[in-house]
Amino acid sequence: MAIDLNDDILQDFLVEAGEILELLSEQLVELEQSPDDQELLNAVFRGFHTVKGGAGFLALDPLVTVCHRAEDIFNLLRQNERKVDAYLMDVILQVVDVVNDMMASIRSGVDPDEADPSLLAALALLQDPNAVPEGSEAEPPAAPVVDETPEPAPTTDGADELFENMLDAGAPSEDVSSDDITDDEFESLLDDLHGKSGGPTPAQAVSADDDDDLFDMGGPAAPASSDEITEEEFEALLDQLHGEDDGAAKPDAIKIAASGDAPASDDITDDEFEALLDKLHGKDKGPTETSTTEGVAIVPPSTAPVEPDVPQNKDPEPVTKPPVAPKVEPKAPGPAAAKPADTSKPKPAPSKDTPVAETTVRVDTKRLDDIMNLVGELVLVRNRMATLKSTMADEEVAKAIANLDLVTSDLQASVMKTRMQPIKKVFGRFPRVVRDLARSLNKQVNLELHGEDTDLDKNLVEALADPLVHLVRNAVDHGVEMPDDREATGKTRAGTVVLSAQQEGDHILLTIKDDGKGMNADVLRGIAVEKGIMDEESAARLDDKACYNLIFAPGFSTKTEISDISGRGVGMDVVKTRIAQLNGAVEIDSEEGRGSMIQIKLPLTLAIMPTLMVVLGEQIFALPLANVNEIFDLESANISTVDGKKVVIVRDRAVPLIHLGNWLVGDDSYVGSLTKGYVVVATVGNQHIGCVVDDLVGQEEVVIKPLGALLHGTKGVSGATITGNGGIALILDMPGLMEAYSHLI
Amino acid sequence: MPVRVLVVDDSAFFRRRLTEIFAADVHIEVVGTAVDGRQAIEQVKVLKPDVVTMDIEMPVMDGISATRKIMASHPTPILMFSALTTQGAKATLDALEAGAVDFLPKRMEDISADKEVAKRQLCARVRLVGVKGLNAITKGVAVTPHPASSARPLATKPVRKPGRRGQYKVVAIGTSTGGPVALQKVLTQLPANFPLPVLLIQHMPSTFTPAFAERLNKLCGINVKEASDGDVLKPGLALLAPGGKQMVVEQTRGATVVRILESESGQTYKPSVDMTFSSLAEVFNAEVLSVVLTGMGADGREGARLLHQRGATVWAQDEATSVIYGMPAAIADAGLADRILALGDVASNIVEMV
Repeated sequence: MAIDLNDDILQDFLVEAGEILELLSEQLVELEQSPDDQELLNAVFRGFHTVKGGAGFLALDPLVTVCHRAEDIFNLLRQNERKVDAYLMDVILQVVDVVNDMMASIRSGVDPDEADPSLLAALALLQDPNAVPEGSEAEPPAAPVVDETPEPAPTTDGADELFENMLDAGAPSEDVSSDDITDDEFESLLDDLHGKSGGPTPAQAVSADDDDDLFDMGGPAAPASSDEITEEEFEALLDQLHGEDDGAAKPDAIKIAASGDAPASDDITDDEFEALLDKLHGKDKGPTETSTTEGVAIVPPSTAPVEPDVPQNKDPEPVTKPPVAPKVEPKAPGPAAAKPADTSKPKPAPSKDTPVAETTVRVDTKRLDDIMNLVGELVLVRNRMATLKSTMADEEVAKAIANLDLVTSDLQASVMKTRMQPIKKVFGRFPRVVRDLARSLNKQVNLELHGEDTDLDKNLVEALADPLVHLVRNAVDHGVEMPDDREATGKTRAGTVVLSAQQEGDHILLTIKDDGKGMNADVLRGIAVEKGIMDEESAARLDDKACYNLIFAPGFSTKTEISDISGRGVGMDVVKTRIAQLNGAVEIDSEEGRGSMIQIKLPLTLAIMPTLMVVLGEQIFALPLANVNEIFDLESANISTVDGKKVVIVRDRAVPLIHLGNWLVGDDSYVGSLTKGYVVVATVGNQHIGCVVDDLVGQEEVVIKPLGALLHGTKGVSGATITGNGGIALILDMPGLMEAYSHLI
Repeated sequence: MPVRVLVVDDSAFFRRRLTEIFAADVHIEVVGTAVDGRQAIEQVKVLKPDVVTMDIEMPVMDGISATRKIMASHPTPILMFSALTTQGAKATLDALEAGAVDFLPKRMEDISADKEVAKRQLCARVRLVGVKGLNAITKGVAVTPHPASSARPLATKPVRKPGRRGQYKVVAIGTSTGGPVALQKVLTQLPANFPLPVLLIQHMPSTFTPAFAERLNKLCGINVKEASDGDVLKPGLALLAPGGKQMVVEQTRGATVVRILESESGQTYKPSVDMTFSSLAEVFNAEVLSVVLTGMGADGREGARLLHQRGATVWAQDEATSVIYGMPAAIADAGLADRILALGDVASNIVEMV
């Protein structure tokens, strides 16, 4: 059935369903903590039921099918004919992901695909209260990963018991086509050894008791830097299988798949290995959906305007790239590609408040953008008038202009407010992200969210989603230690990640704090040198904080990254770039053994920016004030030369000196003066740069206008604006500028 | 005067869709909406609508509880929106027991493949129910059984055959809207050792009839099951025609069996009372005691005509106790009714005659 995006009814459905789905994600994670909460069970049931109903109305059959099954399962749950367990939750969370994918499809005008048959099969199984054993070790269909926790956890580690469990764990799946282990399956087995994220595993125990973990290697399980299995690791695998007993000769299958050499001792019996293969074959190899949903929470009581086109975060599993994989969509800041449905409808939360007559209006985000543009134009005209005012003698006119000034400012503030959304929209997805990740890593992590009501410009909210997810994942992955390690150092077994937001004047401050193992400055120094980012000397000169911030350097974090993020091409450097694109800045501080803290500073809005207007040659340029540290006269500056390059000494530190004019002034006859002008010390990343400009105009709040197709992508320039006297000033993008021209220094 | 409707559903999407559909019909006016059962009760009190369309699954208070409460305090015709699933069946039957007048499938396609037709039928149903209002039965007022309880004269034509005791080999009851509750009332009054086989034809979706049969079986002394092809007619066993199919009888060498047929296109009612009645007339001639209970339309009239021609007996429910006096009216108006009975009298009359 063709999707008609102009159909109001469809849009209506998309909005309502979107809201429900966002809430569902949160509710499900909450449900996992309190699996007997009848209210929650009913609410989730109704959630699927309602989405199904609307989808049915619109004949969106794939959506109906999958929601229907989920609804049926929740019906069983709410009638206590079945209990919530981790496996079931994994499957249902996958359903939520799949549904979100379908919604995204629909939003972009494409018919949704049917859900993967293996997922539907798993759902069908769950629907039959007799089919799958309670708290089953059966795999969710998508994760081709071996069980990490045999059920019920054997407190003895007799090999027999382990194997009973493994044999039981093979879900009654029809697909046991061959008994050979494929390379893929064995890879996934190995991945587990490495403690890599293998997607949602059925591991019942999020509290990872060592005895229970089949493949939790205490010792040699440091995240390997390669996919090869070392002899040690293989030994360990066999040890676990055996429970320390010796077995018979090891079958050839392992030899074929393992890239490492087969260990000479600790053989595995054929039977045991067959059992292992059976278990692996019990899993289907469907798409793994360890994705964060695109849903964002509406937490009652809410004024949460809901954005159905918040960008999705998808982590395709490294082991299997499923054919029906959700496409990775790193959305650029700005309106999503999908047609934006609606926004900013502070709708009373369905479940808690008594809904009153609706006092809200749905408005297309494009309209809001248009209004914002117009207000921007108005601000520019106002600026112009303000400049003219000084030339006017007429007092009445001057008064009128002053009035205009006030009204325009108010209008500007009001319009900005319409575009503001509480950051909880983005925060809402994190419980799920953290839950999934912690589970797959067998860590225990508590997530705390603060300041969810802090407002941000809508575009910012969307643009932040990806970087924040990445940073939080990092905290869980690299920061928080395994429960045993934590216990050993006297910490609580569960780590805490605190995600908070607060407004500071015209800025937003976002903090991601973990109480994990922190970073070691020297190690980072070493890596920096090793990766060729800087030489030893420079590295030695960095203070600890600067070392920590090295992780943002391009090329710094590659192989040490956990594999399921690497496929996305989002490294810390990309995070930093993204944030810089938002005119923000990110910094990290750490204390080894205690934890780390990442701080992101962002302007409240992207549309309007305070700048410092400077003159270079005949032209005026705007420098983002956020980058500007201090300004002083060139004449009185203390300039010297270090390593053949000009520097200016500022409070005993040498700051490289550059003549912006040399780079930016088109006129070839221009020569940057060494005596007349000003030095603007700008912060670019972690560096300070002294920029020489010919003259200063002053501070001005400008409306950022995009460059337009022709000039788009010009290095070092992020936009343009109209000055108070009607001229055009290019807005400089300092990081970009440095990147483009620093070779000329 | 347009029919005033209160739309109750926790999904804003659905509320809006229904409101739109009803708004397109000049004979219907949506006077309010409610998002859960509790609000529904309040709105009924305040707005006094002619009809309430009710969702089942809602937060705070579900549709069934709300129906019960509304029927207890401000009886109003309530139409349930049901999912046509087994789960939905149970809930719907509960709702009907709680006093809802009728149910409609929540999925438009289940009403009709053609969206426009579906919308019209939806509106038609609402209007009908809204106009008819509630009668004594649905208001829950007890109706004491006594012979001449109908609002109409007993028959427009003199009663042809009062029927002879012991004349019958089979009892057949056909019904539609209001049937589930009516059948329950009648059948629960039959003794477990009822000496005749009973055939039940209830207009109902295929996903509902199994649940309905199961429920009846639990509640009744006689056995009740959904009919399968080849089931033998037995005393004390009531066979319910499966939703979506047709049930007819066939005389085989050993016994009389039930045959379940696929419906053909063009057959409006599945199962159709006419189909069953006609085949009964063929096989049993005069030995049939047939009853037409509450329901919309006129399904059963032609089958009754054939039965009548063969000398069998036809009874119809009276207007006062019928939720919808459509099918019984068709019988009575065609002069085919040998008796016209209040619902409460049907069972005793049947027992008397066998």
